[in-house]
Amino acid sequence: MMWVLFGALALASGLFIALPLRRGASVRSLGRSDSTMAILRDQLAEVDRDRARGLISKAEADAATIEVKRRMLALSRQSEKATMEAGSGRGVLLVAAGLVPALAVVLYLLSGSPDVPSVAFADRADERAESAEIAELAGRLQDQLESDPEGGPTEGWQLLAAVYSRMNRPAAAAEVYGRLLDREDATSATFSLYAEALIQAENGIVTPDAEGALDRAQELDPSNPAATFYKSVAMEQAGARADARDLLLARLDASDGFQPWMESFVARANLLGDQIGADAISLADYAPMLRGPDAADMAAASEMSEEDRGAFIRSMVDGLATRLEENPDDLDGWLRLGRAYAVLGDTEKSRSAYESAEALLADVPQDDPRRAVVRNALGGSSE
Amino acid sequence: MIPELGQFALLLALVAALVQSVLPIVGAAKRNVLWMQSATTTAVLQLGLIGLAFAALMRSFVVSDFTVRNVVENSNSLKPMLFKVSGTWGSHEGSLLLWVLILALFGAGVAIMGRNVPDGLKARTLSVQAWISVGFLSFMLFTSNPFERVFPPPVDGQDLNPLLQDVGLAMHPPLLYIGYVGFSIVFSFAVAALIEGRIDPAWARWVRPWTLAAWTSLTAGIALGSWWAYYELGWGGWWFWDPVENVSFMPWLLGTALLHSAIVTEKRDAFKSWTILLAILTFSLSLLGTFVVRSGLLTSVHAFAVDPERGLYILGLLGITIVGSLTLYAVRAPKLEAGGIFAPISREGGLLVNNLLLATATAVVLFGTLYPLFVEAVADDKISVGPPFFNASFIPIMLPLIVVMAVGPLLSWKRADLPGVLSRLKWVAALTAIAALVAWYIDTGGPVLAVIAIAVAVWLFFATLREWALRVKLGSAPLAESWRRARGLPRASHGMTLAHAGLAVCILGFTGSSAWKDEVIRFGAPGTEVSIAGFDLRLEKVERLRGPNYFSDMGTFTVTRDGEPVAVMRPERRSYPVAQSQTTEAAIRSTIAGDLYVSITAPADEEAQAAGMWTMRILYEPLVGFIWLGTFMLVGGGLLSLSDRRLRVGAPRRSRVPSAVATPAE
Repeated sequence: MMWVLFGALALASGLFIALPLRRGASVRSLGRSDSTMAILRDQLAEVDRDRARGLISKAEADAATIEVKRRMLALSRQSEKATMEAGSGRGVLLVAAGLVPALAVVLYLLSGSPDVPSVAFADRADERAESAEIAELAGRLQDQLESDPEGGPTEGWQLLAAVYSRMNRPAAAAEVYGRLLDREDATSATFSLYAEALIQAENGIVTPDAEGALDRAQELDPSNPAATFYKSVAMEQAGARADARDLLLARLDASDGFQPWMESFVARANLLGDQIGADAISLADYAPMLRGPDAADMAAASEMSEEDRGAFIRSMVDGLATRLEENPDDLDGWLRLGRAYAVLGDTEKSRSAYESAEALLADVPQDDPRRAVVRNALGGSSE
Repeated sequence: MIPELGQFALLLALVAALVQSVLPIVGAAKRNVLWMQSATTTAVLQLGLIGLAFAALMRSFVVSDFTVRNVVENSNSLKPMLFKVSGTWGSHEGSLLLWVLILALFGAGVAIMGRNVPDGLKARTLSVQAWISVGFLSFMLFTSNPFERVFPPPVDGQDLNPLLQDVGLAMHPPLLYIGYVGFSIVFSFAVAALIEGRIDPAWARWVRPWTLAAWTSLTAGIALGSWWAYYELGWGGWWFWDPVENVSFMPWLLGTALLHSAIVTEKRDAFKSWTILLAILTFSLSLLGTFVVRSGLLTSVHAFAVDPERGLYILGLLGITIVGSLTLYAVRAPKLEAGGIFAPISREGGLLVNNLLLATATAVVLFGTLYPLFVEAVADDKISVGPPFFNASFIPIMLPLIVVMAVGPLLSWKRADLPGVLSRLKWVAALTAIAALVAWYIDTGGPVLAVIAIAVAVWLFFATLREWALRVKLGSAPLAESWRRARGLPRASHGMTLAHAGLAVCILGFTGSSAWKDEVIRFGAPGTEVSIAGFDLRLEKVERLRGPNYFSDMGTFTVTRDGEPVAVMRPERRSYPVAQSQTTEAAIRSTIAGDLYVSITAPADEEAQAAGMWTMRILYEPLVGFIWLGTFMLVGGGLLSLSDRRLRVGAPRRSRVPSAVATPAE
């Protein structure tokens, strides 16, 4: 349907551009001297009218008349001699008429989003009903927790706060976390979650309240990465970018092996480093298992000759293979190695890498996409 | 699907504009009628396509289609319908779409209504217009696409700033843009004439309706913006010399000069090069305004430097347009034939003074607007150039302009008799002196500038009326004769009288409301009484009310004068919970003598808040209504001139269709 409409619009546009062709050779043109003469004649008539009504004196009228007549004379002398070409150039116009829809379609295919449907707000009642239901459940949970004479279980409040966060109501979430701070079971995480909600509610600004909570979180658990992260944000907002970056680096240094939060730390440290002119850091420096080619390696590879590049890639792959022998439990590493060998054309080694990977699949859930990868790889190379 | 249709229509418009930017101008050079006439169809096509895109965006706003990022960021399902519609042009992307829509509107206007314009000039003009169109369409599509999609759509939109939920503001950008962007077609005419190498009275006649249309709507747009600031912002002023205001005022000043300079070109074949230069500079200032407002330069020069993509693109467009057109001007202008000669004391001389003073005033405003930006960029120092600078530099330039303006229309072309003219104004001079004395009496010890300004306004007003009276022989001929003469005058002549008198009325308002303003700020609970300018106000109560999407604290004031009740005024302070912001709705009692203006806010101190205390701001602004009245007269004068029969002369065959040029498109 959409494409039909698009087609109709494009066709109509093309036809419209070609419209002047319809008139063909009988085209009439308006030359400069015709229209200028019309204006001058009108000016002359106006002078007469003004004179007749006594708006201007006879002397003024005469002077104006002479001036206009002089212009008329000059105009008739320089009248356009060149003749207009009426009918030629039809081909060019035809090409233009075809080009417009064609080019627009190409541009649309490059920039449009034909797959995204348009959804009016009124047509989204179900979705709204669902979020209304969640809001209602959250309200009921809150009522229930509040009516509990013992103040309600901590887990219940935490769940409520998490729901508010997901409903994009950070102020409500902060309020709920705030109730848990005085409890005995308040952990470092309680304080850092509270601070995070406060910061979100203030559109990213670390308020003194939030900073106090972060300090408390760090006191309870100095290794709490969330507290460290937001503390660094606070430092940056206070103008101490270098300190903010150092804090992140120190926490990365203190960690042992890869942790999921490291990526955001590295990204943020690099953002800060960019502003103060420090060198970029790489996740691989802190999580050695993940070392792949970094930017410097890639740059080096792009300048090499074909042979050197092959050797370089092979050395990278060998490095990966050695690491995996020392640490054979790395499923993703085996998959990467298998793919690398496949690219290099070494089917046998590729297959054995995938086999090592297969051995590790036992602990992986049935719907994990990596199962399919291994299955395809082993199935494919046996054919 | 609808948003995608809009996107596709915009792309089609871009490609059509590309065709239009090449084919007609090449056709004009090669004298190929077919190619020249293709400009007419492509210009109309562009209008249709961009109009379709605009309608698609508006539809997305109306039904709150949150798969469109622009709708998400600038609307909300709870917003009243009128503001959903005006949200279409409320955002950066939407306002650009409006920009190109108006660009196309003026292009199509010339294509359809410019039947008397010779093919060559028309083709070149429309090609130049298409260059601008290509620049802005590509800017929009590649950096600020209004049809960018999000999927899945967020639950609801992010509300628009409630300040922007005002009818005055909703209608303000369209009018302002018609003015701003309208000067594009004058620019295109000027560049086309330079390419052709011919500027003559006929050219000036063809361009005049477009200049007038753009000028009239820019006047209305600026006035509406000022009116909005006065009634909505709650600051009790109508002009702040804010950069956003200045960038719309500069094209107005120069556009006014252009309007007058073009008359000399039309009547006397003189000022040709100057008229062309003004046409180029006026549109350049419009572009500069678009750049300054749209690049985020105003918030901070540094904010601009961090995300410069959009700003740099417009800066590039600005650079190409200004440098390109001025280079063309430098090459071509010296070759233009010199026009009619004139003595220093003549209508031409008067208009020359008008032009020079307006250009100087524009330069002053330009300096005051850009200097802070420049300092911030170079010295990393934030300074602000405020009203004191503009009042001290701009007003002294304008006062002599007004004095001359009163005399100008009485001067005859070529060589005028100044003593004769002045003798005809002797009654006006006497009236002026009386007015100055009265002002002096009322204002003993007040600002000297105010007395002069009042005198100048009265001078202009009565001199304008006197000129009109002389033309129709009011008083010196029977009334029937005067009536016949008044009917016989060209409408443009009545338009001039109306607009000039309107400016005089405006000046009365400007002066009265700024020089004799009275202000009281009081802090107190209900029961507090305040006296100002002869009025006694009493805060009776403050109630909390509920609006469609806000809460309101509404105060009730009873106003008495000498014990007699005059009015009950209800200022409000509104809070919009979704947007988490507040607006002040001042209560204003307007009379021809002046406005009584009351606003309330909650005090910052929480204890005072708890005790039911309020901060009241009460202002008396004498004569402020004259500003709006005067603006009406200015706009009315513009429309009246626009309806002048002579602007339609010169068509090869008589056409009965067009009656007014103000609305060029169907």
